Amino acid sequence: MVFPFPRGITPPEISFLAEMEMVTIVPRQRLEGLELLGGPVEPLIPPRRTSVPLWLASLLKRQRRANILPPPWLHPESLSLILDIETQHADYQHAFSPPPPLPGQPKLRDRGTQKPTARPRYTPESQRYYPTPPFLPQNVAQDQAYEDGGEPPTLPFHWLEVGTMLLDVASDDVVEPDQTRRLLKELREVRSAKIRAGVEVLDDAAVAGGGVTLTGVGAMEIGEGRGFIGGVVDGLRRIGASKEQARREQLAEAANGGYDATQDDYDEMEF
Amino acid sequence: MSYYDIDSILTDAQKLPCTFELDVPGLGVLEGNPGENIKAGTRIDLPLWLGEMLSIGARLGTSRLVTLDIPSALSERVMNALKADPRTVDLRALAPNYYRLSERVLELFEEEEMVDILSNTFKKRAAEIADHAHNPKGALGDGVEFLRGLDETERQLFRVAHDSAKDTRIWAGEAKKR
Repeated sequence: MVFPFPRGITPPEISFLAEMEMVTIVPRQRLEGLELLGGPVEPLIPPRRTSVPLWLASLLKRQRRANILPPPWLHPESLSLILDIETQHADYQHAFSPPPPLPGQPKLRDRGTQKPTARPRYTPESQRYYPTPPFLPQNVAQDQAYEDGGEPPTLPFHWLEVGTMLLDVASDDVVEPDQTRRLLKELREVRSAKIRAGVEVLDDAAVAGGGVTLTGVGAMEIGEGRGFIGGVVDGLRRIGASKEQARREQLAEAANGGYDATQDDYDEMEF
Repeated sequence: MSYYDIDSILTDAQKLPCTFELDVPGLGVLEGNPGENIKAGTRIDLPLWLGEMLSIGARLGTSRLVTLDIPSALSERVMNALKADPRTVDLRALAPNYYRLSERVLELFEEEEMVDILSNTFKKRAAEIADHAHNPKGALGDGVEFLRGLDETERQLFRVAHDSAKDTRIWAGEAKKR
């Protein structure tokens, strides 16, 4: 091993990326607009709410120049609701609670009745793109609460990082910080147990084209599991390689009427 | 698998039982009597890389020099033990690079059932490894017996799982840095 670090990204790097998430703050002091590499920051005029990147928000919070409005999911009620879904709901015994809908995806309660229609955005060079986290405002405060007909709470991609950092920096802005911290920890334990249980069915992923649903898994959880899950799938693939080869030859023979072609192009697609 | 991959070099050195089909003059050195001839029908354990090359005639359809046998690590007895309970078998004692060896052997022999048994073994043991890896005490808990029997692939898996769990705990402030 020449390069001493493991493959993939380390937890500090993941939380560094999560600092790009936009959060809502209520400034206490005026600040001129900033032209930053990551995009302009609007002028801060108290007491108007503004969305700024998490790193700037925590900087301002540490200097007591702003208060952070925690995202709607970082609330004991929302978290215990999600925890209920994770542990009690029959549909989610082996799956993770659904992620927030992407732009264009139907809302959670309309799912099944409406079809998703992807809504592209355009760069200044008028190239089409579809935004994903961290370029989606998943952690800004919402005006409508769930009870008043707003969205049901969902865990965003960077939930663990943003939650932990906000509890660290701005625990006085979070509702019932101790309760929230406990719920975050419980959620993490429940979900990592599910990832571990997923190893039992990984076999089908490698041989029969099945797989493990990772919809709704957060960045930190992927970072934690990637080395192990990747290793297991790779090991199973190597053991099953000869069987796979035989199966593919049979298929090729059946398809081409006896012509023995090994189709290496399908290699990647199988897994 | 790269050229300088130590594990694959070590796998190449694993012994495989071979039976000579022909008399070979001057190859008695393999049996331990240099200068002598090797007679047809002699059984010798040869390293994988040598046995593979000598048996290549078998695959080309011409007369072959040796016939290969399945090594004892993958014998019927071991397969039955793995079928009964994958967790109790000491793979390391059978071969340090057990899974890599079986990969290579499965390339040479067509053994569909063995593939199924080995996949199942790997999967069951991987789940067990994950449980042990998340134990903050590391390899010092009650699983010592099981962890000692891991082969090289599984040890790497254990290390990766343990390190990533530890790194995350350090980030979350639950554990101290080393």
